[in-house]
Amino acid sequence: MLYETRHLTQSFKGKKVLDLARLRLEKSKIYALTGANGAGKSTLLNLLSFLDKPTSGEIYFCGERVKHNRHQLLALRRRVVLVDQYPIHFTGPVWKNVEFGLKIRGISKQDRTKRTKEVLELVGMEEFEYAEAHNLSGGESKRLALARALAINPEVLLCDEPTANVDMENQEAILNILKEINTVHGTSIILSTHYLSQSRKLAHHTLVLEHGQLADTRNENIFKCESITEEGDILCCKINSKIVLHLSAKGFTFQKINKSSKLLIDSKRIKMLQKSEEPTKTNTLPGTITHVEKDNGNVRITVNCGITLYLSLTMDDYLMQKPMIGEQRTMLFPDGAIRFSMKR
Amino acid sequence: MDLLQHSIQSAFLLLLSADPELLNIVWVSLKVSGISTIIASFIGIPCGFVLAYSSFYGKRFVLTCLNTLLALPTVVIGLLVYSFISRRGIFGSLELLYTQKAMIIGQVILIIPLIASLSIAAVSRIDSRYRKTALTLGATQKQMAWVILKEARYGITAAIIAAFGRVIAEIGISMMLGGNAKGFTRTMTTAMALEYDKGEFVLAVALGLTLMSIAFAINLLFHFFQGRDGINVV
Repeated sequence: MLYETRHLTQSFKGKKVLDLARLRLEKSKIYALTGANGAGKSTLLNLLSFLDKPTSGEIYFCGERVKHNRHQLLALRRRVVLVDQYPIHFTGPVWKNVEFGLKIRGISKQDRTKRTKEVLELVGMEEFEYAEAHNLSGGESKRLALARALAINPEVLLCDEPTANVDMENQEAILNILKEINTVHGTSIILSTHYLSQSRKLAHHTLVLEHGQLADTRNENIFKCESITEEGDILCCKINSKIVLHLSAKGFTFQKINKSSKLLIDSKRIKMLQKSEEPTKTNTLPGTITHVEKDNGNVRITVNCGITLYLSLTMDDYLMQKPMIGEQRTMLFPDGAIRFSMKR
Repeated sequence: MDLLQHSIQSAFLLLLSADPELLNIVWVSLKVSGISTIIASFIGIPCGFVLAYSSFYGKRFVLTCLNTLLALPTVVIGLLVYSFISRRGIFGSLELLYTQKAMIIGQVILIIPLIASLSIAAVSRIDSRYRKTALTLGATQKQMAWVILKEARYGITAAIIAAFGRVIAEIGISMMLGGNAKGFTRTMTTAMALEYDKGEFVLAVALGLTLMSIAFAINLLFHFFQGRDGINVV
C-alpha cells in the first residue's frame, strides 16, 4: 500500500476542511481527486506531499508511519513531489530550474546536465533550455514544473490541477506525459482535477471529495437548492425557477437544511422511462438527449432537462432502451436517487 | 553665493590634486563604514530572515522594538558604547575608546536594526510558493533559506546599501567613540564638522562633494548589478 490514512483531519483557524475516516491508495496507480472548490483537494495533496502536518490522524507511507519530525520529513519529501496549481519558478534559466532538485541532492554536474536534457525532451521543452523561466507562457510554465518534478525520479507525483488554465494542446500534452511516466516508470500519480472527462480517461480510480469528506458519488448532478418548503413528510426543493424535486423529510430536521444545501442526484439511480411509459406526477423530468458515450463498460448519457443531467446506464439497459441523440425522454428519480449534501 | 562658488571650485581642485590628508580621511571613512556594514549584514540578514519566517509568542512586540531602534539617535549609541569602553567601563581594559574598532562597534549597533527590518520586508515580499517548491523538491531548511535569500537578493542588497549610506553619513558615533584623531579616526563627516568650526569651508565642501560622489557611485553600481529585472523588484 502506498498511502494509508486513518482519521485524518485538517483544520484552519478552527474550521475543519478535511475529515477522512480512512483512505488507502495503491502503488503505481493514477488517482484523480475531484470535487468542488473548497472540497479539500489541495489540502489533501499538501498532506500527502508531507508539506503540511495534519491537525489529527495518521498517515502511513509505504507502511511507515509518518511522524513529521524534520529528519523523517526530509527523507519522505525526497520520494514524493507536488506540482502546484500555479507553479512558481526560480529566477534564472529553465535548465537551472530543472536541475534544482538534483543539485540539492549532490548529483554531479555531468549527470545533472544529462537528466535535465532528458526530462526537457520528455515534456517537449528542449528548445526552452536556456530561456528565462519567468518569461514562459502558462502551458510552458506547467510543463516546466512537471519537468522539474520528474527530474528527481519521484516515486509519487502529486499534481494539483495540472491542466487548469492551460489551452487544449498543452492539456493533452500534460495528460500524455502523466500517462507515459505511469506506464513506463510505474510512478504513482495523484492529481486533482475539475474535469471528469480527464479523470475518466487517465485515472485508474476517481475519488470525490465533498465538504472535506470522501463521497461515494461522482462529482456531477449537484444542484444548489434555491428554496425548500415542507409539505408533511415531503421536502420540496426548487433547484431552478421551474424544477421542483421532492424528497422524504425522514432523517432531516427542517432547521438543519440551510441555503448552502445542495442536492445530489446519483447518475446510476436515475431511470429513463420507456417511450410508452406514463410519467408520474412527481420527480419526473422530460428532457432531450444531447450526448451518449461509453464509460468503463457502462453508457453515459447527457440529458438537457432545463438542467444538465448525467445518467449512467448499464450496457444491457442501454441496448434495451436505445436512447438516441435529439430524442425526447422522461427521467424518473426514484427514492434514494436524490440526497442532500450539507456542510458539517 | 561667491563663497559657495569659490568653495566648490577650490574643492574640485583639491580633489583633483589628490591631497594625501583628504585621501586618508576618505580611506578611514570607507574602511570603518565598510567593515561595520559587513559585520551588521552578517548579523542583521539572518535575524531578519528568522523573524520573517518564524512564529513565536511576542513576535509583534519584537518587531515593534526593532522598528523603534531605527529611530535610535547616534548620540545615544555613542553614550551607551562609551559607558562600556571608557576607562571606567566593564570593557575599559580593552582600550577601545578613540579607535576605529570603537567606531565600528557603535556603527554596527546603529545599522543592525535597519538591515534586519529591511531584510524582513524583502523576505516577506517573496512569494510563499518558493518555500513550498523548494521543500517539495527535497530541500533542507538551509537550502530552502538560501533559495528565499536568492529570490530576495535585490531587496537585501538595497538594505545593505541603505545601511552603508547611514553609517558613512553619521557623525555622532564617529565623533564620540572615534574622537576625530587626525590620520586615525578622522572621517569625512567629523572632518567636515571640524573644518566648518575652523571656518575652512573649502575642505568641508570638498569632503561633502566626495561623500556625495561615493554615495552616487555605490548606487550606480547597485543599479548596474540589479539590471532591468531588479529595478521592478525593489
